[in-house]
Amino acid sequence: MNLNYSEEQTMLREQIQKFCETEYDFYKREDVVKSDNDFDESVWALFAEQGWLSMPFSEESGGFGFGPIELSVLFEEFGKALVIEPYLSTVVLSGTLLDKSNFSGKADVIQSICEGSMHVSLAYAEAAKSYEYNSPSCSLSSDMKLNGTKTLVLNGSNAAKVIVTCMKDDLLTLVIVDTNCEGVSQNSFKTIDGQSCSEITFENVSLSTDSIISSGDEASTLLKDALNLATLCVGAEAVGCMTSCYLKTVEYTKGRDQFDQPISNFQVLQHRMVDMFIESELAKSLLFKAMLEVDVDSEEKYKHVSALKAHVGKSGKLSAQDAVQLHGGMGVSDEMMIGHYLKKMISIDALFGNADHHLALFSK
Amino acid sequence: MDLNFSKEDIQFRDEVRDWLNNGGYPEHVKYKQDNDEALTRQDMVDFHKAVSAKGWMGYNWPVEYGGTGWTPTQLYIYNQEFGKAGCPPLLAFGVSMVGPVIYTFGNDEQKKRFLPDILEFNTWWCQGYSEPGSGSDLASLKTKAVRDGDHYIINGSKTWTTLAQSADWIFVLVRTESTGKKQEGISFILVDMKTPGIEVKPIITIDGEHEVNSVFFTDVKVPAENIIGEEGKGWTYAKFLLAHERFGIAAIGTSMRQLAKLKEVVSDLDNSELNKKVAEVELSISALELTELRLLSALENGGNPGAESSILKIKGTEIQQRLTEIFVEAAGEYALMYPGAHGYGSNDKPSGPEFAAASLSKYLNMRKTSIYGGSNEIQKNIISKFVLGV
Repeated sequence: MNLNYSEEQTMLREQIQKFCETEYDFYKREDVVKSDNDFDESVWALFAEQGWLSMPFSEESGGFGFGPIELSVLFEEFGKALVIEPYLSTVVLSGTLLDKSNFSGKADVIQSICEGSMHVSLAYAEAAKSYEYNSPSCSLSSDMKLNGTKTLVLNGSNAAKVIVTCMKDDLLTLVIVDTNCEGVSQNSFKTIDGQSCSEITFENVSLSTDSIISSGDEASTLLKDALNLATLCVGAEAVGCMTSCYLKTVEYTKGRDQFDQPISNFQVLQHRMVDMFIESELAKSLLFKAMLEVDVDSEEKYKHVSALKAHVGKSGKLSAQDAVQLHGGMGVSDEMMIGHYLKKMISIDALFGNADHHLALFSK
Repeated sequence: MDLNFSKEDIQFRDEVRDWLNNGGYPEHVKYKQDNDEALTRQDMVDFHKAVSAKGWMGYNWPVEYGGTGWTPTQLYIYNQEFGKAGCPPLLAFGVSMVGPVIYTFGNDEQKKRFLPDILEFNTWWCQGYSEPGSGSDLASLKTKAVRDGDHYIINGSKTWTTLAQSADWIFVLVRTESTGKKQEGISFILVDMKTPGIEVKPIITIDGEHEVNSVFFTDVKVPAENIIGEEGKGWTYAKFLLAHERFGIAAIGTSMRQLAKLKEVVSDLDNSELNKKVAEVELSISALELTELRLLSALENGGNPGAESSILKIKGTEIQQRLTEIFVEAAGEYALMYPGAHGYGSNDKPSGPEFAAASLSKYLNMRKTSIYGGSNEIQKNIISKFVLGV
């Protein structure tokens, strides 16, 4: 047994940390969030330059072949800095799904992702089908016409291609569609954590058989594994948020004087900060278990990701709420970073099944 | 990173399991434990003697004093397997508390005199720490020892002394000096329980059991050679001892066993609210298990987890308590009937679930866990000071 990060993994963390501390200023991020752009293109180009966009892909696809530990390190640090760039959508959800598939056109798409020149989104969700992703209403007819509406497509408005889950001949099917095709229309929205998502409607969109990535059981597994890996990533992101929440709160209460002393002297606040610390350590422990089991060939790989997601969905939100509370009025002011962790925790709980949903999956 | 134990550790685990399942763990003790029956003093002695005969009593001792010299991982496996098998917890007072103090701070004479009997469980030790006026603020203790020639004369009282009624010896924190800081002037002394002037009075706890006691000292004459280390340095030894007490404090093996029983009970009830509570506690156990393994891994790599291990005390005891709470909820209206320590007497057992009475008993008994060993609030103070730095 060894639960220590390797030298390479530690170096990767330091590299990301350095970037987040020196290049990823919260106020610059806020300017982007409040602008018409969904993220900072120059930051994305830097990600490509650092090689981060190639991290999880197999070496055959031109990637580094890094596993869930490295991805978790990346997302933990992203969580601390509240990074809004659409890594989850393009690289994790879409890229790793393609990489694991037998899709004939995957090489070009993955290469474009690695270079930072293309965004791809995964359209897995539909209205009124909450957390049930295996039987979409979206359909692909025998003459290859795609019809239906997808919702909560992360970063959809920037995606050149979108991977769509649909039913064809009663089988779950994954197809890849150019978003500039005739019959594709979309509405875009901001998400609570400063990112963007779309509702995309496909109306008699003509596809060629080349656009089918996979179908049947294989498609179900590809989809389930991509969502599982993405759930692990947002779990890691939540661990980063929880770490920052307690650290920033300790720092703030030490510097805030009331009644002629720092408010960190008050035991009632100390114990709440200790609770935040404990919950973040427990979350980190569940992250270890999840990231070390996510590649095993059994149902365990879903179970432990569910454990992590259930924990951070509940205690992560509570920690962020406590962070806001202990910052007093500053906690609810938009210009302070701390309140934005709460928004991030809300978005993490909402994605891919909330705490209750994953607790039920964990205990099955 | 690798979650799997090494080949050697797996072999060790199998050896522990083999001992537990194939005759090592005394049958009569196992039967009582599995059926929630109370153990007698002799049962406890039999169990400890069996462990000792296997050579596993000095589980946290170095080899030079007759210990096992195990790695932290082996110690973890040992503790977890004993917990999962439903063994009674090994009494900490001798082997885990006073033993390490004696071999670290005692003189050769004391080592020769006391250590072998601890390893063979020939002496049953109890702990004279808390006093009526000194709980979490232990250093405020008032029990006095006055030097009189070759002896100390001890006057005062100790409380919450676990199983003092069974003990042969007691290690006592006494005040040998009243001036200066309260931490100074404390000494650590070993006292034979048969010494005239010692009186043990039971304290009955809310579960109806006699587990803890008051111990009164009236002009108790103790040979001066029984003092450990230097007079007035007892606080240092006392703190050292408390650090050793952390072994197995998370009680994960025991909680896993309780969880398995609870799942059986709840699966018959078809109650989604209870199912959710069980799932939550299972999640907590999983998180705490990994937390302990992370601390272990750091320890094996030369790190010093220090105050972080207070998490194990806080969460471990919360989980133990939570499990018993859910058991009582599962008993439903039968939680009303509580036979207490003396069973049902000449009456027949009532109807209702088998587990109801035992679960109430455990529920009441487990309230102590968040109070003893440094209350959970004290643990939070420790984390606040030493980890958060406030």
